[in-house]
Amino acid sequence: MGAGRGVVPSDYPPAVDSRAEFIRREIDGPDDRIDVGVAIVGGGTAGLACANRLLGLLADDPETMERLGEVPVAVIEKAKVCGGHSLSGAVMRPGPLLELFPDVSREQWRKEGFAFGEVTKEAVYLLPNRRSRLRIPPPPPFRNHGAEVVSVAALARFAQKRAEDAGAYVLTETAASQLIVEDGRVLGLRSGDKGRGRDGEPLASFEPGTDIRAQATVLAEGSWGHLTGAAIREFDLGGDREPQVWELGVKEVWKVPRPLDRVIHTIGPWPLSLRPRYGQIGGSWIYPMRDERTGEDLVSIGFVIDLDYADATTSAHDLLQLFKTHPLVQGILAGGERVSWGAKALPGGGWFSMPKLTMPGAAIIGDAGGMVDTVSLKGVHHAINSGRLAADAIYAALAHSSDNFDAYEQTLEQSATGRELYRVRNARQPFQKGFIAGAPLVNLAIATAGRLPAGRLAWHRNQDKPMFIGRTARRYPKPDGRYTFDKLSSVYISGNQTRDNAPNHIRVRQHVPRELAETWRSMCPAGVYEIPPDAPQHGDIDIIVNYTNCIQCGAITAKGGRLTTPEGGNGPHYQNL
Amino acid sequence: MADILVYALHYDGAFNKNSLGAVSEGSRLAAALGGQAHAVVVGDGASVELCATLGGYGAARVYRVAGPEGLAQPVVDAMAQLVGERGFGYALFGGGLLGFEIGAGLAARLGAGVAMEVTSVSVADGRLVAERPVLGDSAISQIEFRGDLGIVIGRLNAFEISPPSGEAAPVEDVAVEFSAFSTRARMLSRGEQRGEDVDIEGADILVAGGRGLGKAESFELCTELARALGPGSAVAATRAVVDAGWYPYAGQIGQTGKTVAPKLYFAAGISGAIQHKVGMAGSENIVAVNKDANAPIFEFADLGIVGDLNKILPKLTAALLARREG
Repeated sequence: MGAGRGVVPSDYPPAVDSRAEFIRREIDGPDDRIDVGVAIVGGGTAGLACANRLLGLLADDPETMERLGEVPVAVIEKAKVCGGHSLSGAVMRPGPLLELFPDVSREQWRKEGFAFGEVTKEAVYLLPNRRSRLRIPPPPPFRNHGAEVVSVAALARFAQKRAEDAGAYVLTETAASQLIVEDGRVLGLRSGDKGRGRDGEPLASFEPGTDIRAQATVLAEGSWGHLTGAAIREFDLGGDREPQVWELGVKEVWKVPRPLDRVIHTIGPWPLSLRPRYGQIGGSWIYPMRDERTGEDLVSIGFVIDLDYADATTSAHDLLQLFKTHPLVQGILAGGERVSWGAKALPGGGWFSMPKLTMPGAAIIGDAGGMVDTVSLKGVHHAINSGRLAADAIYAALAHSSDNFDAYEQTLEQSATGRELYRVRNARQPFQKGFIAGAPLVNLAIATAGRLPAGRLAWHRNQDKPMFIGRTARRYPKPDGRYTFDKLSSVYISGNQTRDNAPNHIRVRQHVPRELAETWRSMCPAGVYEIPPDAPQHGDIDIIVNYTNCIQCGAITAKGGRLTTPEGGNGPHYQNL
Repeated sequence: MADILVYALHYDGAFNKNSLGAVSEGSRLAAALGGQAHAVVVGDGASVELCATLGGYGAARVYRVAGPEGLAQPVVDAMAQLVGERGFGYALFGGGLLGFEIGAGLAARLGAGVAMEVTSVSVADGRLVAERPVLGDSAISQIEFRGDLGIVIGRLNAFEISPPSGEAAPVEDVAVEFSAFSTRARMLSRGEQRGEDVDIEGADILVAGGRGLGKAESFELCTELARALGPGSAVAATRAVVDAGWYPYAGQIGQTGKTVAPKLYFAAGISGAIQHKVGMAGSENIVAVNKDANAPIFEFADLGIVGDLNKILPKLTAALLARREG
């Protein structure tokens, strides 16, 4: 396709048959399976909000609780602890969390170590080049006054403890590998095998997965849900919607000598290229984090890039390193020390890319359902809100022995989450035309609260964008080990402990054109894809896939590969991201 | 309470290198506490002469306990009895699976505090402080003990072996009544844990190869160099090399492989990423050859050579062989 126009990642699809591989069409008998009331796949922000809300409702209704059996609520989490794979900016609107845990005040959030202070000042900058900055009045989506800086990894640990105290059964280090579907209804899921070798052979430590039968299954897998994708295809939940598109964020937490007093966003164009051909859209954040438990002053700093770019040498990790060399950032980090690092893809399509959220026996919540407002960079409160609304609808249905959770979709649309996402429905798409051509339309959409441009602006999928080898990489700084870092030392501090002889969970073609190999090598924040030094400059090359470096960010799926269910317990171990 | 009881594992007429490190460390720490380090040896195959050699590493006394060799529970019985009778303040282990099992068992039996995967121990205010890397080695936690007994289990090869003084320690035979459950297990055979013929943990000289070698055939250059360096040398590899199938996993060094501390570590084509460094940073002398002058390994190598391995390694091998023959 189009030699000279670049290499299109979707022309090199990996061998994955989602419905055949990730949908199981039978269920083990009662002696071989685990029966639970509600199975929640994913112990992140949304999943644990759902679990906590359900247990709160069930506590006042012993009859329904009894009907759900010995394990009324089970949470399946592939990380070592809940939150181990969770990462966000994050400035959170406080309302939904206050409603979820009415007995826990914002002061207590901070004492628990997942919240780091209220936003009182903010600043938005344009960065014309590597030296200068231009402060602009915060556009409406960037007004964060009164919001709270949080760590979603730490919030999940807190919410896990609350859920367990309330009676949830949290299975950590357990991946959900298949959705069980019979007669057009979701019956539960199958947990992943553990202890297989590189070629899938059972090792001495082999433990087969187990069928988990549930009266309701909640898909709270976050960005790039392994089962969510299969469910969307199986039940045609994406039918009339736009395809999902993606962004990739890389984040670091720094200990700094002087407290930062405001949240900062930069909206480019530096360090990105303004050239339309490069197709680069992105921005950064710097948030103050005051750790009340240790008295330390921290900052969260990150860079997000729309995965619709075309220059194969684009690397979110290295762009963050470059961003840190700007005088604006140096003034904040000088004398400080990096304490953590991580990366995560996030859904960027917004309202029109959200799949239908319910199917017989199951519901989708949080990022898995695409509930991120990437105009204002907000998703945490939507995740909590959707988990809570799903819990309400599931509880009401189960109390009447029904498996129809459609009420969730309706209440969500009418809720603040639905309204906020609808308002920015057309505010990101214009950027697919590039920053200069698209920006006026974005401004129009924001200024008119979504009424203009009217209708529904169309999308293309990220993996359909032709890639070429540009010059972005020439600007990346050489890591100095103090302010700028390479990918491998970053993976190291992510706490990644993937078993060396685990099976490869990443599906990509391993013999691909250089443009595609370069796309993967640059994009992957964890250094998974390596181009052999003796590979030819042009034509097809054999890439090396260091899959044990993988921190499961999910970006590869946006550029022609596919992340499948890894073994439970593998991957990073995020603490305060 | 300033005395330290150290477990020494023996196999086939010799003490395990880890155990000699633990006895050396125990003797150093006991001296700082104003006490003595005593060693305990369990098993029918340990001669009085063998046990006495622990004196050369600083053991003031050696307890020899007749019983099954290489099993954990009988040692827990023996050590629990010795602690009860003679009031040791600390028990020290050199690491390895058996050390972990015995240390953990002893802690459970006596309700003592335990610090595992310890990389260094110091003395402060007349008490031991153990350092343990946590969160994937990104931070160090310091552990002190509150109770009467503190149990310290080192990470493999964390403790340095003192040069043997040749002194002999008095050996005392101790009768231990084993618990019924301790004698239920029987040792059928003993061998190297991973079942490979690569012993990189015991070698004084390691030649380690990385992806920079370029191809599987070049890895042979490492093998030849190790052979030329003579007995006590072994070949190791980075994860990338093991992933590529050039060398078995038993020879892998680093975060997810083995931790080594040889006298000489010769790194051929290894970039020196932190994941590798944590497995070999304790080596006494590090020599690195890499064609990339920016490779991180040059930041912590004692001697660095920027150049082509395919030229340098054969010349070095030939020079070593020539010297041995000459």
